[in-house]
Amino acid sequence: MKNKRIPFFKRLQEKLTADEMFHETEVQANRLGATILFNSGLILLLIMALTALGVFPLSWESVFAPSIQAIVEIAILMVLCLIAKNDAWWLKPLLLIGLVFVYARLDSMLTHKAAILMVIPVVFSSRYFSRRLTVFTAILSTAAFAGSAYWGATHGMINLNIVILPAGRQIVTTGDFLGEAVKKAGAEDSMLIANTMLFDYLPRWLMFSIASVISCNIARRGRDMVVTQHEKDVKSARIESELHLATSIQADMLPNIFPAFPERSEFDIYATMDPAKEVGGDFYDFFLIDDDHLCMVMADVSGKGVPAALFMMASKIILANNAMMGKTPGQILTDTNAAICSNNREEMFVTVWLGILEISTGKLTAANAGHEYPAIRYANGAFELYKDKHGFVIGGMDGARYREYELTLTPGSKLFLYTDGVPEATDAREQMFGVENMLASLNGDASAAPEEILKNVRASVDGFVKQAEQFDDLTMLCLEYKGTVDNKQEEQS
Amino acid sequence: MLQINKTVANGKAVFALEGRLDTVTAPEMESAMQEVLPELTSLTLDFAGLEYISSAGLRVLLAAQKAMNVKGEMRVKNVSKAIMEIFEITGFSDVLTIE
Repeated sequence: MKNKRIPFFKRLQEKLTADEMFHETEVQANRLGATILFNSGLILLLIMALTALGVFPLSWESVFAPSIQAIVEIAILMVLCLIAKNDAWWLKPLLLIGLVFVYARLDSMLTHKAAILMVIPVVFSSRYFSRRLTVFTAILSTAAFAGSAYWGATHGMINLNIVILPAGRQIVTTGDFLGEAVKKAGAEDSMLIANTMLFDYLPRWLMFSIASVISCNIARRGRDMVVTQHEKDVKSARIESELHLATSIQADMLPNIFPAFPERSEFDIYATMDPAKEVGGDFYDFFLIDDDHLCMVMADVSGKGVPAALFMMASKIILANNAMMGKTPGQILTDTNAAICSNNREEMFVTVWLGILEISTGKLTAANAGHEYPAIRYANGAFELYKDKHGFVIGGMDGARYREYELTLTPGSKLFLYTDGVPEATDAREQMFGVENMLASLNGDASAAPEEILKNVRASVDGFVKQAEQFDDLTMLCLEYKGTVDNKQEEQS
Repeated sequence: MLQINKTVANGKAVFALEGRLDTVTAPEMESAMQEVLPELTSLTLDFAGLEYISSAGLRVLLAAQKAMNVKGEMRVKNVSKAIMEIFEITGFSDVLTIE
């Protein structure tokens, strides 16, 4: 009942407007239709030209009127396509109806020499991936071509094509097989039956039917494919947006507002993490355990992507919780390892360097669970690798114990922590950046502030790998120990 | 990127690796090992042709080492200087039997 109140055109528009997911493919189909029409127009012009020159054995009268009609029709449709930029709900039916009539005209000129003309609009309609539309086109084509065939068969189709026979000459006189058959059937008196048999209308109709069935099938399969593709697109878009969200959650988990401790003049710290994929397995962390103790963490989870990121989140929280309890670095790593090993069937592990700086004295206590050697620069010296004592990776072996070591940072000293993504950054020829290059770029301007130092290293890495895709996470942290007012004075005296 | 030449006989297996054992190739290595691990009492990994090992590769080694700890032995031989350095940094040199 409701439908009745909606105006006819509105209802037609609703019927003909495709789902959003088919919109793009329909515009493409309209463009294809316009191209077919344009080429058909060229062919018609060519036929007209050749007929006018007398090259084509057609009568000018039989060619001129239908060709002009068809060309005008084509021109109108092409203008409509141009105006709508191939993007309008009413183009689809107009194009199909137009094509059917253009080809019916062409067919009436070339009659039985062009057996597949009537199939073209049906085949084209399958490009819209709508079985209903293809069925509609097939029925319309059948009607249009039946009309043109009936007209041709009853009005002496020979006049419409090939040559004008001398007056009085009969059609069925060649004594060919079909002619005999027509005679045998006693049908030579009926022009309709005789011509229907003679001009292969039945086989042509059979071909047309088969082509229509195939076109319907193509339309349906095409539709299924578009729908499946659309579902996949939606799914991957969802995964992408989830990953995007995960990236920012992960980034927000790390202290990322700098300067991190604007009120502390004793040290300056800066850190960056650039995951190779949306989410990464590397992480850094730093936080004050109390007023006098700064904890710093640099870690790298085995593998990459989402599994590494999940493991990273757990590791980071366990490490920080243990650290906040006031344990020593060795204890922190030992307890973290025990916690992670208790439930780690996937054999994931994480390498961790963890250090606690006593701000008032510069004393650094650290422990290393299978992580890269830190680079240290004392006062006015150069950055050098500090080959510290190594324990096994965390999560690798239940019951592993970690020992800590101590060193003292003098005012002006710097500590550089990194993950293997830095020395193992690889260029297009599979050459690695290497620890030497890393140290060289650190020492390029060793007295620079932590932020500058990280930028310098990043620039050297980028300059080295050039166009090669970033393969591993790149994570770095730099601490500058400036010293307290007290020990600065000590240094000077 | 990674070529695995394996010889398995009488519960003893030798895996000779060539190329890079990284995030891309580690799953391949993992499934190749899991095929034969249940029936092994001795596993030898020949790293003569191995150019690079990443943490994903180390994870596969660790899993194999743990599986072999229970029922036999696992040895790693012909370890290059670069890979030995990685083993030392990560502490794997203490866990693996390296010849």
